This record gives sequence, structure tokens and C-alpha cells, in this order.
Amino acid sequence: MSTPIAYFLLVSAALFTIGTVGVMVRKNALLIFMSVELQLNGVNLALVAFSRMHGNLVGQALTFFSMVVAAAEVVVGLAIIVFVFRRRRTANVDDLSVLRW
Amino acid sequence: MLELAWLVPVLPLVGFVVNLFLGRRLGRAAGWLASLLMVGSFALAALVARDLLALPGDERVHVLHLFDWVQVGTFRVGADLRVDALSLTMILVVTAVGSLIHVYSIGYMEGDPRFGRFFAYLNLFCFFMLTLVLAENLLVLYLGWEGVGLCSYLLIGFWFERASAANAAKKAFVTTRIGDTFMLVGIALVFLRLGSLDLSAILEPEIAGVQPSGVFTILALLLFAGAIGKSAQIPLHVWLPDAMEGPTPVSALIHAATMVTAGVYLVVRMHLFFEISGVALTVVLVVGLVTALYAGLSALAQDDIKRVLAYSTISQLGFMFVAAGLEAYAAAIVMLVAHAAYKALLFLSAGSVMHGTGGETDLKLMGGLRHAMPWTAGLMAIGALALSGVIGLSGYFAKDSILAIASEEGRALVYWAGVLAAVLSALYVGRLVVLAFLGEPRGERARHAHESPAIMLVPLGALALGAIGLGALALDKVTGVLPALLEPVVGELEAGTAGLPEPALILLSQVVAFGGLLLAWFVYGGGIDWLALRTRLASLHRFLNRGMYVDDLYSTLLVAPGKAGSASLAYVVDLGIVDRTVNGLGAAVQWLARTGRRVQTGLVRTYALAFLLGAVVLLAYIGSRI
Repeated sequence: MSTPIAYFLLVSAALFTIGTVGVMVRKNALLIFMSVELQLNGVNLALVAFSRMHGNLVGQALTFFSMVVAAAEVVVGLAIIVFVFRRRRTANVDDLSVLRW
Repeated sequence: MLELAWLVPVLPLVGFVVNLFLGRRLGRAAGWLASLLMVGSFALAALVARDLLALPGDERVHVLHLFDWVQVGTFRVGADLRVDALSLTMILVVTAVGSLIHVYSIGYMEGDPRFGRFFAYLNLFCFFMLTLVLAENLLVLYLGWEGVGLCSYLLIGFWFERASAANAAKKAFVTTRIGDTFMLVGIALVFLRLGSLDLSAILEPEIAGVQPSGVFTILALLLFAGAIGKSAQIPLHVWLPDAMEGPTPVSALIHAATMVTAGVYLVVRMHLFFEISGVALTVVLVVGLVTALYAGLSALAQDDIKRVLAYSTISQLGFMFVAAGLEAYAAAIVMLVAHAAYKALLFLSAGSVMHGTGGETDLKLMGGLRHAMPWTAGLMAIGALALSGVIGLSGYFAKDSILAIASEEGRALVYWAGVLAAVLSALYVGRLVVLAFLGEPRGERARHAHESPAIMLVPLGALALGAIGLGALALDKVTGVLPALLEPVVGELEAGTAGLPEPALILLSQVVAFGGLLLAWFVYGGGIDWLALRTRLASLHRFLNRGMYVDDLYSTLLVAPGKAGSASLAYVVDLGIVDRTVNGLGAAVQWLARTGRRVQTGLVRTYALAFLLGAVVLLAYIGSRI
């Protein structure tokens, strides 16, 4: 008797929602970044769950792609944040608004 | 030498190219080079003449194929030259008068800052004029026709620093272009209707059967419209008096001796079309006659020495068209040749007068110049006597054979109108000579006049010899040298028997010539106070002086509405509609950008929210479709 798929999806949706709210309300770039990772993990969980439900490995393969890309993106993103912090002495995204009209 | 006939037009072309690029560096040598090439061209033309005349009369047509110019389907235009009696006469006139005027110009244009350029243009003109008369193909003829028009424009406006010269050049170009456009349409129709533009193909008598005669009327009239523009006949004559803004040698060469006679040449060359039509001949006759009288009257009231001669040229060209209209083509060409000599002589003499008086052109301020410039006075008097038709001089044989033909054919009206025009020509040229050379100086510049240098007087002398002697070419209007030479080209003139007997015609013509001259001498030589008479007849004088208000009529009817139309197009349509549309589009885009850029807040979280909402909407949409 395996766990019903709905449980996995509920956890996945909860993770994604927490991540989304985090992106919306946080001001620190680093915390926004972490929230994005939460969202990604929520999606990854859903993919693995679907993979199990369908009994093939497509979802798991996709998850690996997503994790690799996320890792690369974290490297670049963190580097940007570190450099922005060195220059501006802040990581508050509301203060980083020079690219506007 | 017939095979080398192509060198006749090419020599001046060489002069043009050399003087165009090196004229400034050559200095005075530019004039000598240009003159030398023209003399060479004349010598070649003479050699061509010798060889052509060695052939029997009816074989004197030599078509020289140089290269194919245009070849599209059945439309073929060869750069071919046609050497026959008519083109031979024309190239001899052009190169002879051209050479003399080139030499004269070396003296006249002395010290002009664009000395080399002047000779380059003059040479280019001769090239195009020779191309025009030698052309075997109507399109090549048209090339020359437009080329001489271009050179006329360039040379009238040679002193373009003067606004009047620049305007006169523009006027000449635009006015002649009206005729040229008709002519081009005519040439296109010739190809459409007759299938060829080669003269040897379309000037065969059998061509009459190819199309109904109405077609030939249209063709002839379209070609004649070109002749009207180029030869300054009514109603396109208005440019020629203004063209006197150009240097005087230009007036002599282009606007008296050669280019303006191209119209006469065209009518004579295409006479077959006019004869098949019949109606077209009458049109030529009427236009020529009206123009001869009109211009003769207008010449009487001009005070500018060159404008007198300009109206005189229009009048004499009218005479040539009268001859052509009477089918007396040889007489028209005789008149053309004689006129080239005596009118060039008159113009160059007028140039000599202007040269010697520091640019005086107003006859009212001249007078008594015979003391200061006896050579010019004597030579100009010869030209004047030839123009008025005194017996023995070239003008007599030219003009009076035309009048005699009119009389013999029983065209009494034409004859008497011609006699009236002849009286007028004796009167205005007598007036010119009397006012310029007799009496006492009336102006400051006339008091300090001096004779012109020999380089200007020698060509005058040569032209005077021509003005006296060229009549020998046409001692008889049928069997004379020139009429006999032209007979294979233009056909034989059937001498009529109507009208006055010959001694009466001669007597009458001399009464006319001497009567006009004596009347001029009496009125303007001190017999009466002509200035007081002019004041009394002020409105008549003004009427004639303004060329019967034709220019004013054109200004009111054509130029003013044209300007108003242009102004409304420029200020209402272009500035008001086109420009405002374009500017409005620009302003709208700018407004949209100003408003739209507010979306870019620069706040990352705003973008994230927009991104989220967009994703939600998209998902909701996709979800609702499943």
C-alpha cells in the first residue's frame, strides 16, 4: 500500500507557495534567492511524484535537469549578489532600482 | 574622305573634353585650341564636300554606319551619319560660321574668368549641332536636338551671377522643352506607325501609302511643334529675345546662325511628311508669316541693340518657314545660309560695338560711333544692307526668291504680307544703324568708344564677304548652284507663272529695301524729333516694345497660376498635410513612450508580482480549456 499521490502534491504545493510568498515579501536578495530555491524544490517534488505515479523515469530525468540548471544559476546569481553587495553595501532589492525610467 | 565624315563632329567633341578638364590651365590657348579644331572640322567638311560632289547628282547620299546605339527587339537605332546635299550644306555653314565665331570669341571673351569653360561649351554645341544635321536616324537627330538645347541653356546663362541671365537661360530651356516634348511624341509615333526611324527608310515616296494622310498630318505637326520651339516661332518665340543675356558670340552662333535654324532644317528634311499631309504645309506657312510680321513690328520698338537683332532673327526664321510652307525648300535653305552669314555679321558687329563702348547696349545712348569705330560701322552697314535685301547682296537673292515664288504661285496674300515684313526689316535694321553710328554721341560711354582688336574684325570681314557673295549660290531660284545641289533631296521646284512679271518684282523689292532704309534714315537721322513722336505714341511703343504683351499674357495665364499652384502644393499640401501627418506620428510615438515607460519601476518585486499574476492568468486560461 503506497502513499497516495495527493500527499506528495500537497507538500509540493505548500513548498511552492511558501517560496512564492517569500519572493513577494522579502527584500533581501539572498532571501529571495532562497525562496526561489524552495519553489524549484516544490516543483521537483511534484515531478518525482508524477514519475512514480506513471511508473516511468521521465519525471526524474527532468528533475535532474532542473537541479543541474538550478545549481548553475545559483553560482551566477550568488556571484552577482556578492558583487552588488560589495559595490553598494546592501542587498536590499528595493534600493537596487537604477534601471528604470 | 566620305568615310571620315564622322571626324567632322568628333573634332569639336575632342575640344570640349580637353577644354573641360584643362581649360583653366590652358589660359588663352584654350580659345586657340577650340578654334583650331573648328577650322579642322571645316576643312574636313570641305573635303567631304569635294568627294560628295564628285559623285553623280542622284547618288549623292552616303550613309555611314558607325555602331549600333540601341537594339531592342525590332527597335534598332544605329549611330549612323547621313551625308547628302542637305546635311553637307548644313555642316559647311555650321563649321564655317562656327570657326569664325570661335576666333572672334578669343578677342571678345578676353579676360573672362571662365574663358576655357566658354570654349568648351562652344565646342560641345558644335558637336551636337553637327550630330543633329548629320543624323541618319531620328533618335540621333533628337540627341543632337536636345544637346544644342542644353548648350544654349549653358551659354545663355554663362554669366549666371546675373539673375537676369540665369532666368533667361531657364526660360529658354523650359520654353523649347515644350516643343521638344511634342517632337519626342512625334518621333515615337513615327516608329509605331512607320516601323523605322531611319531617314532612308521613312523618306521614300512609297511611304505615303502605308498610312492614311491624316496620320502624316499628326506626325508632321508634332515634329513642327519641335521646330516652333527651337526656331522661336509663335507661340513659343518668347525665349529668344531674353536669350540675348548670353555673351554676344553665343547670340551670333546659336541664336542667329545655327541652332535656331534647326527647325527649318527639320521641316526641309521631313518635307515628305508635310507634303503628304498638305494641311501641315499650310500650318507652317501661316505660322511663318504671322511670326515674320509680328517680330518685324516688335523689332521696331526695341532700344537694346541685341533685342532688335533677336526679333529680326525671329522674323527672318519666319521667312524661312514661309518658303518651306510654299514647298520652296531650296529657297528656305538658301535663306538659311545667307541669313547665317549676315545675321552673324550683324550680331558680331553689335558685339564689337558693345566691346568698344564698355558694354553699352542702349541705342538711345549711342550715336556717332562711325568716328570711333569705322571698321565696325562699315561692316555692320554691309550686314544691314544684306538684311534689307539690297540688290546684289545675299539677302536679296534669299528673300526675294521666296517672295517671287509666292507671287508666281498666285499667293497674293502671302506675297504682300512678305513685302510688308521686308519693309519692316529694312526699317528696323536701318534704324539700328542710324541710331548707333550716325549723328552725334548721346551717351558718356559712346563718347569714349574705341575700335575693337583685329582678332574680332577679321572674322567680321570674312562674314561680310559671305553676306555679300553668298547670293552667288542662288542667282536663280531653280538653276542656281545651291538649289541645283539640293534638288535630289528636296525635289524640283515647279515655277509658277502667276503674279507680277519678274522686272516688276525686282523693282518692287528694291523700292521696299531702299524705301525702308531711307524712311529709317529720315526718322532717326534727324528728319523729325523721334523721341517726341515716341512720347506721343507711348502706348503703341509700349505695345511693340513688350512684344505685343505676349510675355505678360503668358505670365498671367501660365506662370502666375503655375506659381500659385506650386505655392498651394508646397504650403498647403506639403507643409499642411504631409508634414503634419509625419510630425503627428512622431509626436504620438513620443507621447506613448513617455507614458509607457512609467511601467519600468526598477523594483524587482513589482516585476516578480507581474510575473506571478501573468503566470496565474496563463494557467487559469489553459486550465479552463482542458
